[in-house]
Formats: sequence, C-alpha cells, structure tokens
Amino acid sequence: MAWIRSKPFIWFILPGFLLYSLFSVYPIFSAIQISLTRWDGIGKKTFVGFGNYGELFSNPELFRQLTNALGHSATIFALNALVVLPAQLYLAYLIYGKIRGHRFFQAMIFSPQFIATPVIVFMGTLVFDGNIGVFNKLLETVGLGGWTRPWMGLPELGIYIVWLLVAWSGIGVGMIFFLGAMKMISGEIIEAALLDGASYWGRFFRIVLPQIKTTILNMLILTYIFAMTLFDYSFILGGASGGINRSVDVMALFFYRISFGDNSAVGGTTNVNAMGMGTTIACVMFVIVFAVALVQVALTYRRAED
Amino acid sequence: MRLRPKRTPVSAAILWIYSLLTLLLLCYMTYQSLRPKKELLSATFGMPKHFGFGNFRKLFAEAGFFTYLLNSALILFGSLAIVVLLSTMVAYGIGKFNFRFKGGLLLYFLIGLMFPVQLGIVPIFLLIRDMHLLNSQWAVILVLASGLSMPVFLLTTFFARLPHDLYESAKIDGAGEWTTFLRVMFPLASPVTFSVCIIMSMQIWNQFFVPLIFLQSESRKTIPLMIMKFTTNVLYNMDLALVGSVMATVPLLILFFFFSGRVIEGVAAGGVKG
Repeated sequence: MAWIRSKPFIWFILPGFLLYSLFSVYPIFSAIQISLTRWDGIGKKTFVGFGNYGELFSNPELFRQLTNALGHSATIFALNALVVLPAQLYLAYLIYGKIRGHRFFQAMIFSPQFIATPVIVFMGTLVFDGNIGVFNKLLETVGLGGWTRPWMGLPELGIYIVWLLVAWSGIGVGMIFFLGAMKMISGEIIEAALLDGASYWGRFFRIVLPQIKTTILNMLILTYIFAMTLFDYSFILGGASGGINRSVDVMALFFYRISFGDNSAVGGTTNVNAMGMGTTIACVMFVIVFAVALVQVALTYRRAED
Repeated sequence: MRLRPKRTPVSAAILWIYSLLTLLLLCYMTYQSLRPKKELLSATFGMPKHFGFGNFRKLFAEAGFFTYLLNSALILFGSLAIVVLLSTMVAYGIGKFNFRFKGGLLLYFLIGLMFPVQLGIVPIFLLIRDMHLLNSQWAVILVLASGLSMPVFLLTTFFARLPHDLYESAKIDGAGEWTTFLRVMFPLASPVTFSVCIIMSMQIWNQFFVPLIFLQSESRKTIPLMIMKFTTNVLYNMDLALVGSVMATVPLLILFFFFSGRVIEGVAAGGVKG
C-alpha cells in the first residue's frame, strides 16, 4: 500500500491507459494475429500463416481489386500533393499578408470542415447530377448544351469527382496549419528581407517557404495518410461495391467490403474468410502507411542532429 | 514600409470566387429545401410557386430528426467528456511526475497516431460483440474516446512546461493529489483543453466509419448516417435530403462564423505542435 501511496501518478494514468490499451493498442496486435488465420468471425479459426497474404497477391480477382483501389488512393494523394497543397500554401500566404477581408476569407475557406461528408457528396450531386445538377443547366444557358453529361455517374470521372469533393472540403485545415507556421516565423527575418527590398512573392519563395519546410513535410505525410485511409466519400458515392466498375473504390473500402460484406455489417457475411482476409488487407494498408511515416521520422531525426 | 503590394487583383478575385461559391452553394441548397417535392422534381430550376416549411415539418415529424440529433449529441458529448478527463489525467501524470518509464509511456500513447482506425476495427468489432454492445451508442463512444494520442501529446507538452511551484504550494496548503488536480491543474490547462475539444469535436461530429460499423437500427443512428439514408435514393427523398442537409449544416456554420477566430486559433494551436 505504501508503495502505491508514494506514486500518485499511477491513479492518474491508469484509467486512460486501460481504455487506450483495450481499444487502440490491443486491436492492432489482434488484427495481425487474425490475419494469419482463416476465419469467418463466428466459427473455428484455422491457422494458415501467411496464406492470406499469398492469396491476396495471387488470386487474380482480389489482386485486381487491390491494385485498382491502391491506384485510386494514390491518384487522390498525387492530386492533393500537387494541386491542393500548393493552393493551401498560396491561400495561407495571402491571409498571412493580411489581404483585405482576410478574416472573412479565412472563415469561409475553413467552413466546409463543418459539413458532414454525406452532405458534401449531396452538394456535389446538386451541382453535377445529370438531371437536377446546376452545372448542366449552366452549360445549357451559355449555349454549350452539347456538353451536358451525367457527371456523377461517369466511371472514368468517378475518382476525380471524389477528389474534387475532398479538395473543396479539406483545403481549409492545411491552410490553417500553414498559416500557424507562418505566424511563428520571427519578425526579424521578415524585416531583414524587407530592408533588402525583396518583393512580396520573392519573400514567399525565398524566406517563408524555407522557414516552414518542416510543416510542409508533415502536411505531406498527413495528406498521404489521409489519402490511403479515405473511406467516406467513396462509400457514399459508390456503396460497398465501389461504384460502377469499382470506379471510386479505395483501399479502406476494399477492406470494408471483404470484412463486413456487400450487405451492411451485421457480423454475418457470406464470405468464409471475411475476418482473415479483411485483417490481411488492413495490415497491408498499414504497411503502406507505416513505411512512409518511418521515412518522416528518419528525416526529422536527421534534421534534429544537424 | 509596405508589407504587401497595394493591389493584388488576381489573388483577391480568387479568394472572392472561392468564398462566394461556397456561400452560393449553401444558399442554393437552403432555397431548394423550402420548395415542395413535386415542384423540385418537375421544375428544378423553375420559378418558385410554393414556398414554405412543409419539408421541415416532414423531417421533424415523420423522419425523426430529433432522434438522430440526440444520438449525435450523445456520442459527441459522451466521447468528448471521456477524452478530456482521461487525457488530462494521463498528461498530468506523465508531464508533472518523475518516474522511470516516463518517456516510454509517452511514446506508448503516441503510437496511436500512426495507426489508421481501419486497422483495428475488426478486433474492436469482435470485442464490442463479446461485450454485447453492438448497436449501442456506447460502442461508438468507447471507440472514439480511446483515441487519446493527440490530446495526451498536446496536454503533456503543456504540463511539462508548467512551473513546479504551483504543485508545491497546493501541497503546502494541504490539498490532496486529487484536489490539486481538479482545482488547480485541470482549470490551468483550459486553453489547451479548448484546442483539444475543437479538434476532437470536428472529428467526432463528422465521424462516419465507426457509427456505420456499430449502429444498425435506425433509432440509434447519427445525423451523417441519416443524410446518407436520404441521399442514396435521392430522387425519391429529394425533399428530405435537402432539409436534412440544411439542418445538419446551416446552424453549425452560423455558430462557427460567430466564433471563427477562436475556433481557428484552437485548430492552429493543435497543428503547429502536431
């Protein structure tokens, strides 16, 4: 008793430790363990070693779904990294420079964060739908009636529609992170640049960007993790099957479909290896995320030693 | 000395177009939600003939909007309360006390940042099933509240920097460990707690995946799941999809615009450290 009394911190840490261990840490190890078995979630578990992994990469149907989903996730990441991230930097710099009305713009660009994903997809429908969409109506109005399409239902456009919705709703958070980082830059550096006569955009490229390098790298990693674990948009647009010809399928949706089935998850799926193969896909997904996160840690360490 | 050029017409135009587009979309959605279903489908872009709150009445009376709202609120406040209390306690324990495995313990709490929720969801599902909590809001609350990594990280940084005198003087005044924590430390952390609340609320309110997995009966579902129910059959439920979306979005955005400065500061504070 005396030993416990002298260590009051134990009582502070214990409740959180238990909850976090049970629902955040234990499931990770459990998932790895389940991925080594053949199991439908109800019946008997059979240990198969790396059999599930082998099957995922050798079964043509599964492998096709995997590469398709992975390709889509990668597309989202590439577009986010090449288009959204620079746009976030640009917008953050404008607001940092206190452009007239910057408070209003900041709130306006951030606001879609508070719109639930199904609503965002629905707003996309209101704009791009073949029958009730504003976009087609606009095309007709300006005399481009020949260009009207059922935009939301075109398989070849599917993943770009997903990206468009993701970009519109998510651009604000990154912008705010960059803005926060820019505000941390010491005034002296900016002052010195001003005295040297650096122009507005010259300062952006020569001073501001190098100063917030670390934040940009972190944001890039977050963007990557986000793209690889994206689920909501694809599920809402295309259901569990991932849309027409799986045109909006992504990694997390592929995982969901195998684990919880095409019908809603009541624990009973027709797939005899739902839990085994599902956790296998989850583990592969995790490796894809983790490998890149490790690179980041390595880079950060190297910089810390410099 | 000028910090920026006098005129930035292109940039200003881009900002205006982007902002107004968002605003226009919201206004358009709200405007359409005030029109009856028949008119919506027959003349989507026609001049409005009948304006009214009929669709809203239908949403509250027939579609049970209050139930969804209550479920969403229960999950939000339940998870938030647990997260704030437990993460502050953990962070205080790690940040203010010295013991042997302190660094290792903090690292243990941080590894959660690396794992996507999907990785553990199958074992969590089985765990919840064995606890007989499937289809209960408690399942969602427990799963969301166990995401302690980010709050613990932010709060530990705060407590580690806090001068030790505060702790000592509370002790001298005869306060016990818990009194010190609840009366002195917990209130002191409120700026950081505020940040945590903002970031977590945004995550929890828009959380889609976890409720989808655990909630099956309509009477337990949250607002995002309700919207999805209406939009999957959009032509049949156009009116409900519209008013549901408006009710889920517009009040929240108005609230956000009132406090936007503080909210954005809270998010930025979490981001710079994170």
